[in-house]
Amino acid sequence: MSVKNIITRRDFLRAGACITLGSFMGLPHGVGSSANREGKSRVVLMRDKDVLDSNEQINRIALEEMLDDAVTTLLDAPDPSSAWKRLVTPGDIVGIKTNAWPYLPTPPPLNEAIRKRLLEAGVGEENISADDRGVLRDAVFQQSTALINVRPMRTHHWSGLGTLLKNYIMFVPQPSRYHDNACERLGAIWQLPHVKGKTRLNILVMLTPLFHGMGPHHFSRQHTWPYSGLIVSQDPVAADATGARIIQARREAFFGGERPVTPLPRHIVAADTRFGLGNSRAERIELIRLGWQKDQYL
Amino acid sequence: MRWGESVKKALFLLLVTLAAGWFSLLMTRKSFADSLATMAEALDRQVGAWNATGQDGTYDGETIYDYIDGAGEVYRAYNMQRCLSRSYTAAGEPAIVLDIFDMGSSEDAFGVFTHDREGKPANVGQDALYRQGWLSFWKSRFFVSLYMERETPAAKEAAFHLARAVASLIREEGRKPAILLGLPPKGLRDRSVRYLHHPMLLNYHYYLADENILNLGKETDALLATYSRDGKRARFLLVQYPNPGKAKEACSRFLAHYLPEAEGKVPLRLENGKWAAASLKGRFLAVVLESDSRSLAEDLLGEAKACP
Repeated sequence: MSVKNIITRRDFLRAGACITLGSFMGLPHGVGSSANREGKSRVVLMRDKDVLDSNEQINRIALEEMLDDAVTTLLDAPDPSSAWKRLVTPGDIVGIKTNAWPYLPTPPPLNEAIRKRLLEAGVGEENISADDRGVLRDAVFQQSTALINVRPMRTHHWSGLGTLLKNYIMFVPQPSRYHDNACERLGAIWQLPHVKGKTRLNILVMLTPLFHGMGPHHFSRQHTWPYSGLIVSQDPVAADATGARIIQARREAFFGGERPVTPLPRHIVAADTRFGLGNSRAERIELIRLGWQKDQYL
Repeated sequence: MRWGESVKKALFLLLVTLAAGWFSLLMTRKSFADSLATMAEALDRQVGAWNATGQDGTYDGETIYDYIDGAGEVYRAYNMQRCLSRSYTAAGEPAIVLDIFDMGSSEDAFGVFTHDREGKPANVGQDALYRQGWLSFWKSRFFVSLYMERETPAAKEAAFHLARAVASLIREEGRKPAILLGLPPKGLRDRSVRYLHHPMLLNYHYYLADENILNLGKETDALLATYSRDGKRARFLLVQYPNPGKAKEACSRFLAHYLPEAEGKVPLRLENGKWAAASLKGRFLAVVLESDSRSLAEDLLGEAKACP
């Protein structure tokens, strides 16, 4: 075994950051990125305090409107229909990559809203599939030309945060191979041939995010709160970085002081600096805030 | 004694020995298989206002992923044998989820307990911790978790009652890993100690390398600990290998990949100004991963013991 083929903690210390490791590992910078690497990445934060009732049940109509407003604003489109026609064409085969974690799954009404807009944009019903753990076996995903990435934000045992970037871990047969160093290499999955360049839209669900996890189940209702938001972007890194800032701010407010997410979600910065998938720094993100402004944590 | 009689006697003894061995093997397997089942039968299905709902879940090392997603890897990395899960519900109160993990050995039950050491100590089993909404403890070869969807005073009381009921069903206490005796006691921060086998878990607590440069695995026991002496801190790792040859091989590999410029002379100053070092003691490898001072690194290596 060659000494130089192994990356150690000391390589990170020498570099001062993981910025040099992309070239160290022979990985391309900025290839296959769905984000604007030259300029700023646009991120829309859409919130509606009425999207959840007092029992945190979803108001479907309000949620559909949130999605429409966010996508329309993101793409500077005159209406939702035009916006979705910019995202997909009738010839596309579209996989909606959801998240099935039982405690905080992608809300079914949001899946239905996305499916409805895809159909309106002319995509055939037989060419749309929503799936999580079965994506490698799903015929639509196997032939997909476009992906819509949608999942709730939460803390995560291995990656620090369960993010849009993390959501693609089911596109590899052995997800656990990406768990080292807080899943820092998740960005590599986005460079795989069956994934690369296909993502048209990322929707980070911030309706009731989980900001702290513990125990085997990593979930407690007391560590969620009704943020009532969606973060929408074509840049998964920028969307995740924005969501991560909200989670961190909520933790500090809840715990009363600095309480970093554990482990640190290194994969977000690495997806920017090492895998060239988008922008993680706030100054490279154009954040558009729509709707409810109270307690934004940004 | 005639030759024929001697042979008969020897054969008889051999058969008795084989039968005894086979019988004890059967007994071991039976007692292992029955244990969680026995506990499930003996455990009350009603605790105060809470009643067990649905069927108990049982999982093994493969099916645990279906139950607790990616965190299942932690339990697998500690050789989890089986898990029994039961939910208790009460009107107007949060559900309580009881999970009893049979880790196969008390050492690994202790190990999985050390994976998350946040929380306040509680008096259940051999050691217990309570965080808002989650109580965990270990006893014998079992690690037990009681999780509440949200905490209420009544749910907390019921969870503790349930935990003590489970602990009382586990009659014998188990021993902690012998390697703990090898840690220098002075300045050891008790709650920092993690016992583990798998490199993935070491990387979770202290990222070392993307490859297994210490050759950690099921046959190795490792302790990760933090020391604090006179305002100086150090992260220390002690690994026990099956034999001195394996320890030497791992030490060479660690030095080659992690401290290549040391050329065998340690401690070495790292890029962040801290000191790192490693030394062999028979089948034990002691590693100072980061120390605020050279002298603390040297002292820790000198004080680490090769325990039996």
